[in-house]
Amino acid sequence: MKLLLLWVPLVLVPLVIHNNVVLTILIFTYLLGILAVSFNLIFGFTGQLSLFHAAAFGLSAYATYLAMAHWGVPFWLGMVVGVVFVSLVSLVIGTICFRFNLRELYFAIVTLAFSELFRLVILNWNSFTNGSLGINFTLTPTLWIPGRGVVPVQGTMMWYYLSLVAVVLAVGFYSRIVHSWMGRCFASIRLNDDLADTLGINVFRYKLIAFVAANAGAAVAGSLYSFYISYIDPHYFSIDQSLAIIAMALLGGSRYVAAPIVGALVLTALPHVINVNAEARLLIYGLILILTILVMPRGIVGVLVTGLRRPSRAPQTPERPRHAA
Amino acid sequence: MKSRVSIVKAVAASLGVAALAVATGAYSQNVVKIGEIEAQTGALNTYGWMSSQGMRIAVDEINKAGGFEVAGKKYTLQLINPDTQGNPQQALIQLKTMIEEDKVKYVFGPFLTNVFKGIEGYARQHNGQFLLMGGATQIHYELGKPGNDYLVRTWNWDAGPSGFGTLMVDYLKKKGVKKVAMLMQNDAFGHVAADVYRDAFKKAGIEFQENWFEPGTKDYSAVLAKISAGSPDYLFPGYTDAVLYDIVQQATQLGLTKFWLVRGSLGPALKNKDYIDDYVAYIPKYFEEAEKSEPKVKKFVEAYKAFYKTKDFPYDQAPLCSSSCYDHVYMLVEAMKKAGTVDDVAKVKNALESFTYDGLWKIRYDQTGEEVINFDIVDVQKGGKITVTHEQPR
Amino acid sequence: MLQLVVGQLLNGVIVGTLYAIIALGVTLTFGITGIVNFALGAFMMLGAYFTWYFSDGLGIPYPLAVVLATLAIALVGLVADQVLFRFTRNNLINGLIVSIGLISVIVAIVLMVWTTTPQNMHYVLPGVFRVGGVIVPKMKAVVFGVLLLVILFTYAALTRTWAGRAAYAYAQNPEAAALMGVRTKVLQAGVAAYSAALAGLGGGLYASLYSITPEIGAGYILKGVEAAILAGIGSVMGSFAGGIIIGVAEGVGSIFLPSAYNDAYGLVFLVLILLFKPAGLFAVSSR
Repeated sequence: MKLLLLWVPLVLVPLVIHNNVVLTILIFTYLLGILAVSFNLIFGFTGQLSLFHAAAFGLSAYATYLAMAHWGVPFWLGMVVGVVFVSLVSLVIGTICFRFNLRELYFAIVTLAFSELFRLVILNWNSFTNGSLGINFTLTPTLWIPGRGVVPVQGTMMWYYLSLVAVVLAVGFYSRIVHSWMGRCFASIRLNDDLADTLGINVFRYKLIAFVAANAGAAVAGSLYSFYISYIDPHYFSIDQSLAIIAMALLGGSRYVAAPIVGALVLTALPHVINVNAEARLLIYGLILILTILVMPRGIVGVLVTGLRRPSRAPQTPERPRHAA
Repeated sequence: MKSRVSIVKAVAASLGVAALAVATGAYSQNVVKIGEIEAQTGALNTYGWMSSQGMRIAVDEINKAGGFEVAGKKYTLQLINPDTQGNPQQALIQLKTMIEEDKVKYVFGPFLTNVFKGIEGYARQHNGQFLLMGGATQIHYELGKPGNDYLVRTWNWDAGPSGFGTLMVDYLKKKGVKKVAMLMQNDAFGHVAADVYRDAFKKAGIEFQENWFEPGTKDYSAVLAKISAGSPDYLFPGYTDAVLYDIVQQATQLGLTKFWLVRGSLGPALKNKDYIDDYVAYIPKYFEEAEKSEPKVKKFVEAYKAFYKTKDFPYDQAPLCSSSCYDHVYMLVEAMKKAGTVDDVAKVKNALESFTYDGLWKIRYDQTGEEVINFDIVDVQKGGKITVTHEQPR
Repeated sequence: MLQLVVGQLLNGVIVGTLYAIIALGVTLTFGITGIVNFALGAFMMLGAYFTWYFSDGLGIPYPLAVVLATLAIALVGLVADQVLFRFTRNNLINGLIVSIGLISVIVAIVLMVWTTTPQNMHYVLPGVFRVGGVIVPKMKAVVFGVLLLVILFTYAALTRTWAGRAAYAYAQNPEAAALMGVRTKVLQAGVAAYSAALAGLGGGLYASLYSITPEIGAGYILKGVEAAILAGIGSVMGSFAGGIIIGVAEGVGSIFLPSAYNDAYGLVFLVLILLFKPAGLFAVSSR
């Protein structure tokens, strides 16, 4: 509970800083932070490189909007539809991948293949998704606020607090998982899933749980993000988006639950703080991926906590003899 | 661990504030700020790149001449043009900065549909406080709707009585064409083009076949072989040079030698001049020729070379200056003078729609706020012989 | 109709060898260094740009430009291996992420130097062969011939020379090979450079057929990895067959199936292979 107090400064930010632009950057940081934190459950904590995360983000955005538009449900119910839909899809994909014991590269490629398939369906199902033109939202989420009744979520202030609450809840949720016995199962799978199996851990079940729980977080982020921008198109599914997610998690620090938020902040704020062009931005993304793996495997937060390169060059996943698989 | 996260955040946030405070700088009374929301870099930077090249020259010329006078007061221009990189999230933050921090009232761009969609919601909330003057195809569909007074579209539309596409189809009809096969990329503009030209060809009584390909395709021989089997008179290929070079080369190998296109440059035709029979292209202005016959164009080309200290004028990109570019800055200044105000955007918009500006192009806006310009149809024939037809839509 | 199918069959085989040359590089690096180097696609793209620049920019004759570009890319591959991939040996995930990072860096540099404007090389060998209504561009035939020779040469070198056999032995059993006197570090660096050279050559030949943009690497590496996995990663002739299968499936498939889902067919096929024959299409025993 004490840890919760540490979020208090962020609650006070809008009272101190009356700058819409800074607040907007923070809103994007929180929303993308949820995405990166949830990705880190499957990546940093369970050691599986899923390339389905951007697709979960996009699918939920579409599902939320389409549920609202076709069934007339309010935003929050639409978000539930998005999360449930993404969870079901993840259950199916996860079952296929883990039942057939796909690991490492094969898991990454099959999850990428599925996310490409969904992108192609969204792109070509013109009558339902408006294809490559995307959909402009005319609907907004609503909130019940004591004393004011049901009001639409509009303006930077409301979005700031909504996204802050969402990211705090997400961190709380994933932190509970990681620090429970489930988290220990994830860790043993990350270290060596053959060994975990011998120890009697149901590797299939816990990989599936991690995959579904991670994608559910991406779904929440997708619903909120799309309604903040109020526009969706198939770019949500792009490989660049997956790349950005990996970069955020690695840069922040993939060993800590909340650390990817720092990665999200740096990557969101960077282009507005220093004037970098698209090429430099791409270069920076690339260098972040390379350097964090080779020099700073624990990310910014890891460095702050333990110092550079200590303890030694810890790889994301342990070196494992190839021929064991 | 969490405390450190928060500290890092607080520090980063305050750094952000400091940087913005520096960037905003001092505000001068006699400066009219104009913004630009356009991709300067990134995969789709072509359109934005050319328009900011032109805008910088116009702003520089106007300020060097001592600014301009509106209602007895002298003003100079300040151009704020960040780089959206084609990313809607980035564009939204930049537009917010312009409107809320810099108090910009005149914003040019965007050309990219996804960027326009990303900022549209926010822009609508500020309807009446600023003008957004961009070339994006999607702006066409939003013009004249209630709550959209802030929108001006700075490029000519394909369809309709003043549309260049209609005149392009007429040009083909005069050649006695019976059948046209489209080969278009499966993306946002590709679908808009198909919708527009399906109708236009139907009205002209020309048979129209649709074929699609995925963006990123390099080998078109399969789909071209299929098209070739239907023996169309003309091929109507995709819209960017990145695909046109490949399509034109591969099509000529399979015996498809006649092309008709509404976006894209003459480069593919000139490279394949010995293999094509005919290549009809919509070019807002054929600079190579106009430079010789129009003094204003000659002056612009020279100003460009001097301003950027280069010997190379980008002839292939320059036609894109017909949208949110050099002329449009001058035209905006004219409109402010006519309106007698630099602040009342509604009056300036009315003034903008009330006259024809005679610059590199003859530009006017129709009653919905969409640009109508004169343009060229360039016809390249085997061996590279070029005929230019000047069109002046009503 | 028959002409169309035969024409696309031929075209698919030719296009497929370009996938195969990348797949071969993927397979070799995987066998010796234990990672899948996605940057091979970026190396190919760089090879295309170098060839175009040497030939159209510096006026070097095309065949020589291809050779120079191939050597330059081999060097790039060697440097990348020594600076980066040396630290990710046998660690697939780290290798994957570092190679993705390297792709971004290479693409960014290419964009800074040569912008997004697509580049087009002069026509090296224009014109087509016509055989009974089937049309094959001359240059495509040449590209096919060169790539086929290089693939056969690689196969021969791996099975007939000492270095090749050492590599083969190492891929089968690293410890035993090291005991037999195979110098591991030299072998790994050599294979990394050779794989990069193959990608560079692929790019150099590509430049004579299509326009060059920074994005071309992404498409080819995906097809290359697909081809390598399809036939069972680790097999030279398998990656050749895998490339051709994908090329033919694309060419012939787009005659009969809606082309908007063109990429989807390959993906579905790949997922099925990975699930039911993870050791590859031609593998005798299963994993």
